[in-house]
Amino acid sequence: MAPVSIRLDGVSKRFDHTVKGEVYAVRDVSLAVAEGELLTLLGPSGCGKSTTLRMIAGFEEPDAGTILIGGKDVTHVLPNRRGIGFVFQNYALFPHLSVFENVAYALRVQRRDEASIARAVEGVLELVGLTHYGRQQSHQLSGGEQQRVALARAVVFEPQVLLFDEPLSNLDAKLRVEMRGQIRALQKRIGTTTVYVTHDQEEAMAISDRIAVMDKGSVVQEGTAQELYYRPRTEFVANFIGRTNLVDGHVVSAGDVEIEGVRVAFSSGLAAGERARLVVRPEMIELRAAAVCDGPHGRIVQRTFLGEKTDYVVALGAATLQVAASDQYRRPLFEIDQPVGVYFHADGIHVLR
Amino acid sequence: MATASSASWRRVASDPALLGAIVVLWLMLGLFVLFPMAHLLERAFVDEGRLSFEPLLSSLADPSHQAAFINSLILAASVGVLGTALGFLFALTAVRAGLSRHWLTLLDAAALLPLVSPPFTTSISIIFSFGPKGLITHDLLGLTNVSAYGFWSTTLAETLTYFPIAYLTLRPILAAIDPNLEEMAFSLGGSRWRIFRTVTLPLCVPGFANAFLLLFAASLADFATPLILAGNAFPVLPTQAYLQITGLFDFKGGAVLSLILLVPAAAVFLLQRYWVGRRTYVTVTGKVGQRSRSRAIAPWAGAALIVACVAVAALIVYFYALLVVASLVTAFGANNSFTWHHYHVIFTEGLPAIRDTLIIAAIGMPLGGLYGVLVGYLIARRNFPGRRLMELAAMINYALPGTIVGIAYLIAFNDPPVALTGGALIIIACYVFRYSPTGIRATVALLQQIDRSIEEASSSLGAGSGETFRRVTLPLIAPAFFAGLGVVFIRSMTAISATIFLVSISWTLITVRILENMTEMALGPAAAFSVFVIVVVFVVVAGLSAVLARLRTPAAGAAARSFLGG
Repeated sequence: MAPVSIRLDGVSKRFDHTVKGEVYAVRDVSLAVAEGELLTLLGPSGCGKSTTLRMIAGFEEPDAGTILIGGKDVTHVLPNRRGIGFVFQNYALFPHLSVFENVAYALRVQRRDEASIARAVEGVLELVGLTHYGRQQSHQLSGGEQQRVALARAVVFEPQVLLFDEPLSNLDAKLRVEMRGQIRALQKRIGTTTVYVTHDQEEAMAISDRIAVMDKGSVVQEGTAQELYYRPRTEFVANFIGRTNLVDGHVVSAGDVEIEGVRVAFSSGLAAGERARLVVRPEMIELRAAAVCDGPHGRIVQRTFLGEKTDYVVALGAATLQVAASDQYRRPLFEIDQPVGVYFHADGIHVLR
Repeated sequence: MATASSASWRRVASDPALLGAIVVLWLMLGLFVLFPMAHLLERAFVDEGRLSFEPLLSSLADPSHQAAFINSLILAASVGVLGTALGFLFALTAVRAGLSRHWLTLLDAAALLPLVSPPFTTSISIIFSFGPKGLITHDLLGLTNVSAYGFWSTTLAETLTYFPIAYLTLRPILAAIDPNLEEMAFSLGGSRWRIFRTVTLPLCVPGFANAFLLLFAASLADFATPLILAGNAFPVLPTQAYLQITGLFDFKGGAVLSLILLVPAAAVFLLQRYWVGRRTYVTVTGKVGQRSRSRAIAPWAGAALIVACVAVAALIVYFYALLVVASLVTAFGANNSFTWHHYHVIFTEGLPAIRDTLIIAAIGMPLGGLYGVLVGYLIARRNFPGRRLMELAAMINYALPGTIVGIAYLIAFNDPPVALTGGALIIIACYVFRYSPTGIRATVALLQQIDRSIEEASSSLGAGSGETFRRVTLPLIAPAFFAGLGVVFIRSMTAISATIFLVSISWTLITVRILENMTEMALGPAAAFSVFVIVVVFVVVAGLSAVLARLRTPAAGAAARSFLGG
């Protein structure tokens, strides 16, 4: 089946809240997912990402706006007529059915013949690595196995669209990393257009073609992981994607900015004398021995040795900076309270407008 | 996350199975719940096309009706207090006296026996025991000229019949009080009595209120016991309304009297459901600590509790044994020679009643089970305009005393356009709409434990709402379905208060035959009928319990218990 696109135009959803009255869970969201693409909706809990996904699935009906799947308006179409495979956070396996029957469910609904059901189910169980699990009951499986059954169940009928609602959040950290790799590999292999919801930015970055960051019911920025990381449009995105230092810089001239007295050769595009809000990622700051460095010195407040890198917290003027140093095998670690020279790599710095 | 988005007709309209179910259910609720109620009100308050409260006022002014009203309240309050006390005694013994499982099962069986019996069993035994020729009053104590009729015998019979409701209400509350709480008070140096008074009892207060109101309502609505035992000296509302209709053919007077009964009944129902029913101090944390055997009850107190419970249980067992004996002797008290004659009578002369009752129960059972599950599912799971209203409408016939429902049905279905009296259908409909709410509530409770995403998963996999219901929901709520079946069956075998107005020459019921036997003083066949009903109910309940045990879903056990709680 050729992959289809998904489009949301001005979609809103209100809920009745007992205290606050009517509140918007989703407000005027417009999104486009290209054929075969994996788009992740990323945001903190309550940001409307799950509600958006559930509207794409048809479990919730939008109060305004339209939803198109493959160019067809499905805004008010029931979930069972949309051709979507949905993977739930809590797996939602049918407790009264075996693994085989769980996976076969959609095919039984379609009244396929027994032989083709068996073939399809066994094929997809092999795909998720559960070849001999068909006769087991779902409650006999581990969490990871249950989620793979849920995945198999969602893809067996070759849906137009795959939707994932925080599918890995009930699994332990190691399994999460393994499973997200499997999900991504499977999605690429079958090429189905996919929307994936998570609150874990690392998971989003690892799995997605593109990410839409949501906050308070709206999409605040869309883009690839790199775009979001290096060119966040708002403080919220800057803070939500990766660790960040948000510092104020004084524009000295067209090509120079001063951060807490440290001069950086950086063209901010702002006029001299203006203040610039800057996003500086921890790995864009370099610490040097104070002796080899002029100008104001910072002071080490905290040090965390993590092996492949060392995290420092450095006080510089009024600012507290997070610094990630990855070249620590070359030199001794800095000590707490040690004065250090702070050097900003201008090419990574980004101005918020 | 917020739930309950606004219901939309458009969504409902695009789902034919849902739309069809809603339309059919409303048609049935309209016909069998709202239509009779409207008729009852119309008969009571409309005179020659004009609204008139005159019949109500004159009925209220009638001293005998005032007496019946007061008597009803006194009786209900007495049964409420005594039944709650007895229920608490059993609950405390079951939870704290340290009985072994076997003894507990026996105690449970004795306590719950009255709930599944036909309505006259205790009354018959009381007459056998305390009547003029009673086993206890005459044979044992040598008294003559005693009367087994009146306030005390009615109170005793109703208390023994309904205290299991209090027991079932209070036992989980007591069981949920963490013994550690009492232990802690104990370790702080409180005496056992002081702990009981200051910790245990206060935690049970909402349970007491709940049990009292449930018993009050049950007694207020009880028709069979006062009809046999209250006698002329102690008239109560349900029997007065019945006599008004069957004795005087005064439908209007009966309607008005039943509506007077409605006031306290509705007040108690609302109080119980919306005030007391929601209060509980006991929180279930799911964290069960070391459940050491409670030391909160002194050994001698535990022994005293057990003795008291065994005494009450023995009284119940004695009453039932008496019933069996009476069904097997020629004339209990006068001629105690063994005979199968009474059973011969019920299986020859009484056969039509047995056949009719079984047919009606057998038809009503699946219908009631299905109806309960369907309404429960729609209320708990689907979002459609008028959902709350449907829930309310479905509860009406259950909440009202049977006398009101029976009179309303009689008035509504006696004449065209919907003339149904005289047939089996009206009796079946009465049972289905009156006794299925237990199934509805069991379904709602079960669905609240089943995550919604399981049904959403089915829907996303291509199943429409009808197919999802059939393939996923129905198997998961099967325990509630069987519980609903059980309750409808038990009540079809044992109820009388509503259906006594609906029986006819062609369709009659065992319970009505028992009543007729009683009034003809043919106590032997009445006892034989009662034994027969108890045996049938026991066999069916045992069968359904076996089915539930095979379902092996976690909720099955709870559903099995809800047979009796209904």
